[in-house]
Amino acid sequence: MIVQVLTDVLVASVALAVPVLVASSGELVGQRAGVLTMSVEGMMLTGAFASVIGATTTGSALAGVLCGATAGLLFGVLQALLSVTLRANQIVTGIAANALALAGTTFGARLLFERGTAVPGFDRWAVPVLSEIPVVGPALFRQTPLGYALLAAVVVLGILTSRRTGWGLSIDAVGEDAAAADRAGIPVLRIRHLAVLGVGLLSGLAGTQLALSEVRTFSDNMTAGVGYLAVVAVIAGSWRPVPVVVASLVFGAAQALQFTLPALGVDVPFALLVMLPYVLALVAVAGLVTHSRPPSGLTTTFARVRAA
Amino acid sequence: MRTTARTAPAAVPADTAPSGTPKAPGTGDAPALSLRAVRRTFGPTVALDDVTLDVAHGEVHCILGENGAGKSTLCNIVFGTVPVSSGDVLLDGAPFAPASPADAIGRGVSMVHQHFSLVPTLTVEENLLLGRSGLRPDRRALRERLAELRADFGLVVDPSARVDRLSVGERQQVEIVKALLPHPALVLLDEPTGVLGPAEIDGFLSTVRRIADSGTAVVLITHKLAEVMRVGDRATVLRGGRVVGGGRIADLTPERLVTLMVGREIGGLDAVLAATLGVTGPDVAGPPAHGPTTTRARARARAEEPAILEVRGLTVLGPEGARRVDGVDLAVAPGEIVGIAGVEGNGQSELVAAVSGSLAPEAGSIHLAGETVTRASPARRAALGLGVVPEDRHHEAVVPGLSVAENLLLGRLREHRRFLLLDRRSMRTRADELAERFDVRTAGTDAPLSSLSGGNQQKAVLARELSLDPLTCVVAAHPTRGLDLGAVDDVVTRLREAAHRGVGVLVVSSELPELLALCDRILVAYRGRLLGPVPCTDPDARDRVARLMMGTAA
Amino acid sequence: MNLRHPLSVAVLAAAAALAVSAVLAALAGATPVEAGTALWEGMVGTPYAVGSSLGVMAILLLVATGFIVALRANLVNVGGEGQICLGAVAATAVGTALPESVPAALALPAVLIAAAAGGAAWASIAAWLAVSRGVSEVITTLLLNFVGVAVLLLAIHEEALLRQEVTSSETLPQSAPLPDAAHLPLLGVEGSPATVAILLSLALAGVVAVVLARTATGLRLRAVGLSRPAAHRLGLPVDRLRFTSLTSAGAFAGLAGGVLVATAPFVLAEGLSSGYGFSGLVVGLLSRGSLAAAVLVAGALGFLVSGGINLQLAAGVPAAVTQITESLLVLAIAGSAAWTVTRARRGRTRGRTVRSPFRRPPVDVSAPPDPPGRPAAHEPAPQPVGTTLEEARS
Repeated sequence: MIVQVLTDVLVASVALAVPVLVASSGELVGQRAGVLTMSVEGMMLTGAFASVIGATTTGSALAGVLCGATAGLLFGVLQALLSVTLRANQIVTGIAANALALAGTTFGARLLFERGTAVPGFDRWAVPVLSEIPVVGPALFRQTPLGYALLAAVVVLGILTSRRTGWGLSIDAVGEDAAAADRAGIPVLRIRHLAVLGVGLLSGLAGTQLALSEVRTFSDNMTAGVGYLAVVAVIAGSWRPVPVVVASLVFGAAQALQFTLPALGVDVPFALLVMLPYVLALVAVAGLVTHSRPPSGLTTTFARVRAA
Repeated sequence: MRTTARTAPAAVPADTAPSGTPKAPGTGDAPALSLRAVRRTFGPTVALDDVTLDVAHGEVHCILGENGAGKSTLCNIVFGTVPVSSGDVLLDGAPFAPASPADAIGRGVSMVHQHFSLVPTLTVEENLLLGRSGLRPDRRALRERLAELRADFGLVVDPSARVDRLSVGERQQVEIVKALLPHPALVLLDEPTGVLGPAEIDGFLSTVRRIADSGTAVVLITHKLAEVMRVGDRATVLRGGRVVGGGRIADLTPERLVTLMVGREIGGLDAVLAATLGVTGPDVAGPPAHGPTTTRARARARAEEPAILEVRGLTVLGPEGARRVDGVDLAVAPGEIVGIAGVEGNGQSELVAAVSGSLAPEAGSIHLAGETVTRASPARRAALGLGVVPEDRHHEAVVPGLSVAENLLLGRLREHRRFLLLDRRSMRTRADELAERFDVRTAGTDAPLSSLSGGNQQKAVLARELSLDPLTCVVAAHPTRGLDLGAVDDVVTRLREAAHRGVGVLVVSSELPELLALCDRILVAYRGRLLGPVPCTDPDARDRVARLMMGTAA
Repeated sequence: MNLRHPLSVAVLAAAAALAVSAVLAALAGATPVEAGTALWEGMVGTPYAVGSSLGVMAILLLVATGFIVALRANLVNVGGEGQICLGAVAATAVGTALPESVPAALALPAVLIAAAAGGAAWASIAAWLAVSRGVSEVITTLLLNFVGVAVLLLAIHEEALLRQEVTSSETLPQSAPLPDAAHLPLLGVEGSPATVAILLSLALAGVVAVVLARTATGLRLRAVGLSRPAAHRLGLPVDRLRFTSLTSAGAFAGLAGGVLVATAPFVLAEGLSSGYGFSGLVVGLLSRGSLAAAVLVAGALGFLVSGGINLQLAAGVPAAVTQITESLLVLAIAGSAAWTVTRARRGRTRGRTVRSPFRRPPVDVSAPPDPPGRPAAHEPAPQPVGTTLEEARS
């Protein structure tokens, strides 16, 4: 019985943690490069919306993924234009972009999506043997193909952008001191643009994962703050990969409790479960952030002196 | 962590400098760098105007000028961070218009910046790999090149050390290594010695000489004449963005160069001003004039008086728990001017911050005018008569976005209230009066403080701090840094006047000659401790302080 | 006309946002004429429309006033939504606990003061974290929004808290209605739901405008906002000023929450503040710190929101269109900020920039977060090498 409960809770937790993880790993690179992308929430929501529309229109889940990724990427282009090229306030434009995404997808869903439509999605594929491991097996090794692909992408991204590589060094230098990086001959703006595009792509895919692998439909505001949790996970994880992964998993699990606990018949006020991940995030940020140091250049913009 | 061992001799042989002829031929007859009628404006400000000069291969070409003369702009143009407004730049005879530092580096130009351009959280090796590697950095090639540089120039760095843990001198070494890595044809050095101690400057200058001797063209930007006279082959003097003179160093005297820089004869120059320019010291004939003896005499007379500012056993911790100030004792008597010399980063900043109330000490006590103020608020300290001139003017001394009047009176708004509202009229009257008394030149005290020149901003700070009533003690950190000569003169005069009135003055500066000319005695900050004192009347004062700055006993 | 003037930019942005919205309305099947008529009717067509538009304006203006107070101290209050919720919860708690016999002269102030206190308490969490631990108030107020909305949910779902007595399975999850004495009086215009909240919000905006512009406190807040180290150096109580300004912002937003429950239908229910927190922030941003501008912008948005509701009712265009318009407006104005500022300021925009907002947020949220310019662009002032005070202090 206990084992079954644990397994169920873990399965649900991982299901919600994967999108958070995918988005936060993109956001980690972005913040290391000095750009605080607050619009992860909007990117995820847009990605989810586009993937559902794409999948229902074409009848192919793969086409849905393509749509979700493209939407996220386009969102990233918009955010990069604002945050990097136009040097606009990253926090303000990020939050406004989220509002735009929320309103836009709500509007779009009225026009393009009919509630109850069957959405082509991905089916779970259990890894033989590994998925038989008690408790953790079903949670980790019974993902959809999209889920496996995204987890692999996160690992590859983590390796490519580690401090051991020239790319990782450049990203950290740009985020730490853009002027110094520029004088060392690093293309500061190109790196920042790419980083924000990466955030857009991964967030769009995270939304796609949520929509096509887990929920299998679109509903208004279906991300419900998960994107903000991804941003906070990076901060709570002190801008280091492993703690960011842990924070993402914890936030995702906390988010999942509002579905698992009632299903298990545990009588906790729903509202308490709704607030849990955000309270956790607050505690994490308040308790940890003072012991860590953000990239010095985070949210600062860069431009060389222009011709007068 | 290894410290940088220096194989260079303590002093550069003087005979290598003045010959003026390139020792190693360049790739062709064309000069390594040519500027032709270069002009650059920033809005209404003309930073460079019709600048024409040539830098030959293998020569150290010094560019001299006061702050604001356009030296840094010139460097930035060649390094691609600032484009020209008009005119041409030629590199080895070929047109050169770098769009970015990456461009400039690609064409064989390197630069050592006034403010270090290393990323502090990366290691030395990571900094050196920056911008030079794709996905997989070639660490082995880097180590080979480092070994070469060590053999050729005696430059030693510890690749695994994190940059923010290095001393200023070590960082400078890394900067130079970074500049030399790509085998540059031209190296730009922008005020490279500003933060170094005398011994480090010696080592640095000999490295510069070796770099030029290897055939590389070197442009050395400075306002210190002593350095020019020691390593320069040619000099060009800028004033107000224009070339006002220059030529082979062998044909020039320090007096001539100062006259060109300042635009007037130097006969009337105050000792401190001369010191700032580097005209005093062993390189220049004539003994340095010392500060007014009256101050000194009075200070001696008051030596028995209780100190106005006293610091006992003060310990201040840095962000990572390092003891930035370590059990420091210090006393300043009324009417006395005490200097704190030292290479930057030896705890001076933290000491001033603790005394002025910006930073809470870990242990020890601070006493001001008979009261204990160890953890008192800045407001309490000001009430006891402590005036503070902080080292970072834009960051801490002023609020650039507020008006001059608001900046002058922000600490005493209580005196300008009518009913519940601010009395703007009385504020203006008071501010106008202060601006007049302290010669702050403004377009009106309603103008934003940021519209003032650097010198006038510093005068405004002095006006605010020295008009405290009562005024018992002044703490000034690098009060003349970045100012032009007129403003330096003003700042120094005001500080001396204050001492005359019986105010205790504590001055922190990395410009040793300036301190020697201004102070009664000098303490040396070294690794969080204060060494000395060295009385400035001591004929060997300069050498003793210089030795203390390296941590060796006087 | 100077295209780079902030006002021209705002006009262009508004025109562009409206054009996009018109296209969207057309996509939703409403002809421009239909949509325009529905919008117009919803804004000013009837006394009812005008009254409810002004009611929305009052809410937005209250939130924006608080936002501007915090912004003076360089604190960006993103937490309007959560503060509204907590204000509403506190107001409901006090209002429903009042005995019937309490006169309106006592009940109404009690409810509104409770609301302000609730909002202030909520913001004080973020303020305390910002002051004592250096945690970015943007992140904390943002997270507190989600928690605040959940607190409201909790309050109206639990009978032990504020839920009305559950008599049947159809009892809605909402609070019992406030007693008559705690209702905001109507202004008495025939057929209009306009309450005194409109006058209250205008009066408060006026008071705040005077405090910010004409008092020592206002100047001190500005100094703290522009340069914390300099303000500290000059003996200003930096921490207290920052704490107070963000807490006041919470009080204003909380008051807005109180106004919401003290207006018909006088109950606390889910979705009480759907987006007023964000819209209030938009007003605060677009008015660039000027309360006079805030009144105008709040009015414009108030009419737009109220018109948007009618757009949905009458023309079948999803009300989300007004949200789209709003956010496009913010994106356009924030995006053009760097372009809007004068050329002289652009010249100073250089690679060296301010430290991270996690300890010190950008100065003007609608402008690029560059340091206040230096007088001479060509010769940067010396910067300290090694440990700076800011780092050493933290």
